[in-house]
Amino acid sequence: MAALLELKNVKKIYDMGRDIHVEALRGVSFSIEEGSYTAIMGHSGSGKSTLLQIMGCLDRVTSGEIVIKGTAVKDMNDFQLAKFRNRTIGFVFQSFNLIGNLTAIENVELPMIYAGVPRAERRKRAMELLKLVGLEEPEERAYHRPNQLSGGQQQRVAIARALANDPAVILADEPTGNLATNQWRRILDIFKRLNESGKTIIIVTHDPLVGQEATRIITLEDGEIIKDERIK
Amino acid sequence: MEILLEAFRSLGKDKLRTFLSMLGIVIGVIAVIVAIAIGAGTTANVTARISSLGSNVIIITPGFTGGFGGRAAMALTSVLQETDVQNIQQMAPDVADVTPILQKNFNVIYQATNTVVTVVGAYPDTFSILDLPLQSGRLLNQNDENADANVAVIGNVIATTLFGNEDPVGQTVYVSTGGFQVPITIVGELKQTGSKLTFNPDNMLIIPYTTAAAKLIQLNGGVSQIIASAKSAQTALNAVDEINNILYMRLQNTNQYRVISQNQILSTVSQTTDVLTLLLASIAAISMVVGGIGIMNIMLVSVTERTKEIGVKMAMGATRRRIMVEFLVESMFITIVAGAIGVGLSFLIAALVTYLASGLGLTVIITWPSIVLSFGVSVAIGLFFGLYPAYLASKKSPVEALRYE
Ligand SMILES: Nc1ncnc2c1ncn2[C@@H]1O[C@H](COP(=O)(O)OP(=O)(O)OP(=O)(O)O)[C@@H](O)[C@H]1O
Ligand SMILES: [Mg+2]
Repeated sequence: MAALLELKNVKKIYDMGRDIHVEALRGVSFSIEEGSYTAIMGHSGSGKSTLLQIMGCLDRVTSGEIVIKGTAVKDMNDFQLAKFRNRTIGFVFQSFNLIGNLTAIENVELPMIYAGVPRAERRKRAMELLKLVGLEEPEERAYHRPNQLSGGQQQRVAIARALANDPAVILADEPTGNLATNQWRRILDIFKRLNESGKTIIIVTHDPLVGQEATRIITLEDGEIIKDERIK
Repeated sequence: MEILLEAFRSLGKDKLRTFLSMLGIVIGVIAVIVAIAIGAGTTANVTARISSLGSNVIIITPGFTGGFGGRAAMALTSVLQETDVQNIQQMAPDVADVTPILQKNFNVIYQATNTVVTVVGAYPDTFSILDLPLQSGRLLNQNDENADANVAVIGNVIATTLFGNEDPVGQTVYVSTGGFQVPITIVGELKQTGSKLTFNPDNMLIIPYTTAAAKLIQLNGGVSQIIASAKSAQTALNAVDEINNILYMRLQNTNQYRVISQNQILSTVSQTTDVLTLLLASIAAISMVVGGIGIMNIMLVSVTERTKEIGVKMAMGATRRRIMVEFLVESMFITIVAGAIGVGLSFLIAALVTYLASGLGLTVIITWPSIVLSFGVSVAIGLFFGLYPAYLASKKSPVEALRYE
């Protein structure tokens, strides 16, 4: 399988000022194949979120190199990065992060607005995606605000939003962290289904139960990979 | 389009805050429009009053360095001569009539009342040139001139001062001059006219020119003022030029005389009211700027509050420019709506001012330029004061913004 994403000796040092530096990533190298389902695990503070942000082009590396779909991230300016995130990466966050004054369907449409998709097409695709993530009676729920939806429903809307521009990879940071057990099962089912239909998925978690469906588990400790196992 | 809708939504979320942030601009716009409207109304009022004088009256006075202090100087130094009157009559083709005036202040006594009155010596045609209407009795005529008659037509205001409710016609007053008292019989009373350029008949005692020259105001061929009329309103400016040239030929100094026409007064008045209006409007505009600062404040708070949202949008692929535009649209939305409300309300306030101040003769005329100006300024304020908060929003780091709680 072709490498979708490649990290070469990536380091990330947070400069806290007054000569205090936090080394969040101390030289991480690995590559992610297209269509894979990877879990990144590790204790709190091990650098998981930092790694995800860097893979998602939200932050720049201190040193090292990232290549996504053949493009070196460090060669891109802010504008290009925004466009790249828009088309190539779908984010799912722990706290859902839906925009509060937009309805569910408008949240799903948001990345498509940024991509310049025409209104009618946008609506149609957003509705399909809401159905895909199994929002019950989407015709009605679609027009609810996030605060009228349960946590599980919100996270499913967020997944639909992440899928909006058919990204190459879904990056999820503790997507089940704020959900009750019966709710996070559904979320993991969706990820599994998406992966089975070919979507590349990277999920960050500290919970082994959440990671169990991945085909590969990368374990971080203190900013370094201590284990990289393939399952099955 | 989506940006507009989104701006509308996020502003609708906290209606009270949005309303309060609009208030400054609303008040500012109202203040600017109403200030300019009052200015325009006043100009219109004054213009109407001046225009009622008849646009072809021209008054020539000795030059004075401003103010009413010049009046005294006028009577003492007689720069203007009777020959000027003849020259103007003969050499100014656009002048219809021209007549000299003798003028001086005297103590005038009627029974127990003794007051200072402007006594004017004038030929009968003065009444027609200035269009002075009679209230009772008769005007002066050529017979009075021929006889050096001690008769007078009295102005409305001074008549009340001297005679109270009594009918002045037929009464005799005494004009005291250097120990003498010249008896003058009132033969007519004028209607109140208000000031005719520099000439205010309401406060005058008008006697025949020859009587004045012989008995009260001896200027040895000098005259106090010259009153002329142009053949038509269209040729008034030409007439003024001609008179100026004639006087300049003799006096060789433009400071020694002044040729005043209604047009000049009108332009002076409108200049003065323009300056006043500008001043008022500037003060009002300050409140718009204050409103703008308020909006900037609100927008800065809003940017901070929505840091997380900004981070999420950036993660979804919003460019920095897009974030900036979103916030700019919001601040401009506030000011555009506020500007529109202000324009609407200013009509209401103007009507209210007109109603409340109707007794003061205050006219309020809302002008198009003031609407366009104040609305334009409020849009510009939205842009200007929204720029910095929007810039801050767009410069946020996506990671930092996402971590914000
Ligand atoms: N913006 C930042 N500035 C400074 N230090 C940071 C920043 N972000 C992360 N760190 C530090 O980098 C290290 C790794 O943080 P990171 O958030 O990646 O951990 P994590 O594995 O996601 O932890 P958790 O499971 O608690 O979410 C930590 O020591 C953290 O304090
Ligand atoms: Mg984390």
